[in-house]
Amino acid sequence: MESDGILIYGELTSEYNVKTVVKQILTKACSLKEKLENCSIKVCLIGNRRHYDELINELGVYGADEVIITNDDRLENYDKNYYPEIFYQIAQKYRPQIILLGSTAQGKEIAAYCASKFNTGLTADCTNLDIAENNRLLSTRPTFGGQLTADILCKTLPQMATVQENIFKDKRIEHNAFARFEWINIDEIERKIEITDIIKKISEKKDITTSDIVISGGLGACKDNGFELINKFAQKINAAVSGSREAFEKGYITKAQQVGQTGKTISPKLYIAVGISGANQHIAGIKNSGKIIAINKDENAPIFKYADYGLKGDLFKILDELIRQYNTEKEEKQ
Amino acid sequence: MNIVVFIKQVPDTDDVKWTENNNIDRTNTESILNPADRQALETALNLKQRYGAFVSAVSMGPYKSLEILKEAIALGVDDALLLSDSKFIGSDTCATSKVLAACIKEKFLNTNLILFGQSALDGETAQTGPSTAVRLSFPFINNVCEIKEINENNIIVISENESEKITYKVKLPAVLCINNSVYGYSIPKIEGYIRAHDYNYKIYNISELRLKEEETGVKGSPTYVSKVYKHNEYRNCRFINTDELLNKIKEVY
Repeated sequence: MESDGILIYGELTSEYNVKTVVKQILTKACSLKEKLENCSIKVCLIGNRRHYDELINELGVYGADEVIITNDDRLENYDKNYYPEIFYQIAQKYRPQIILLGSTAQGKEIAAYCASKFNTGLTADCTNLDIAENNRLLSTRPTFGGQLTADILCKTLPQMATVQENIFKDKRIEHNAFARFEWINIDEIERKIEITDIIKKISEKKDITTSDIVISGGLGACKDNGFELINKFAQKINAAVSGSREAFEKGYITKAQQVGQTGKTISPKLYIAVGISGANQHIAGIKNSGKIIAINKDENAPIFKYADYGLKGDLFKILDELIRQYNTEKEEKQ
Repeated sequence: MNIVVFIKQVPDTDDVKWTENNNIDRTNTESILNPADRQALETALNLKQRYGAFVSAVSMGPYKSLEILKEAIALGVDDALLLSDSKFIGSDTCATSKVLAACIKEKFLNTNLILFGQSALDGETAQTGPSTAVRLSFPFINNVCEIKEINENNIIVISENESEKITYKVKLPAVLCINNSVYGYSIPKIEGYIRAHDYNYKIYNISELRLKEEETGVKGSPTYVSKVYKHNEYRNCRFINTDELLNKIKEVY
């Protein structure tokens, strides 16, 4: 059977809204669609919602042509036993050329499941997608610990890729999607996994993906009172605190605060990198930031090449000075 | 109970060398045991201690990978074997998972539990474990940090992501991908090193796993690297002082 179009996993938030990453993938899919002939963009929604109208409208506004809906009371929440198999069955039926998913916990599971079932290739955590010769999907991702970037092609169909949130920007367009309901008999799927307990982690930390200013610590700040100073200064200037992989591994930040290829991708108006050397995997997570300021004692640190502004020197002294100056200015105003 | 831990030797990512086909040139690069795989080994050894188990470490790669199998034996696994064949070279995630699934089917039919590290330093696709599980029709759980309990039929595990800690009861046999585990790092004993030195490491090739040439290696890999390059997102850095930095902050608000 002939393959056609792009299929996207329509992941929803716990409040049943369309996830940001889905909108961003849709906008990217629109630009891929322009380069492909007779390409339609389909989004697969799995769930048990009674009222789909809003979701269909929302997906249409970001460029979906069709929304495929599977509906069953047992699918209210994400279920590892059902969702990957259902998405696979939908993909089998519609035979897309390209399948795109958010690089989320769900997206990764579904992607691995489908790629293996189809015996096809999967490029994870892409930083760009394009159409190459012969209408092939060209997936770009950092490789080798982020040292290099690789362009990856796939010989088989469907061509699959996952993308992290905030890699692409979303854009609303004048567009309508129409809906199609598909029925899948989930009685035939064996339940091998059950959830026995969920503990929600409550984070009082400012969200690094939505803050205008993010101040971030790396290996250089992972000693003495480095992160104490970063947190103190961040609080004063109302910034969110993030960190590198090293800072996470050493326990100075939580996973939700980690920036980079294995953490989050962020694009604040101002990003301040403190004691971060600037490995490519870190840069991958911050390169879309408005302005980047680097504080580092090593003038040859790669981070300076990626920064708009630099402060060369001991980060502890610089942070102390910043906090002192800030306090003085505050007092003068009062 | 039989546990298989798949481990991988990864190149030191500070020292990149590539082959003409744009694959990683593993023979000329410094190599280490993938850190997440070490956590998987520790998890298996912890289970062995708590419940008694026969733990096998398996690696796929060139003969050089025997180094990490020695490390595994020194740490206390019961058996270690290598899947090695020139026809495996250039395998992507899809082709690799075919080899690993074939290994389980051919050599470890009575396996109860298969462990992987969540991701590898060099590829970081985090898909090999799940893909192998799907080929075996085993359930899989990502980001497992702790194993609460195991019995003949089920295993109870905790998987942690950034917003929740979820406890799953999973039917065995199952595949677990280990990340940020609670089991720490043990130090090999001298007897371990002696055993590792004298151990007779089995090596299986493509025909012993009953795979066809076109199922693995470059031929069996759907994906290929078309180009590798250093990316360049340089900006023009101007050096400033703390006063100016504070001004940049004010400009945002």
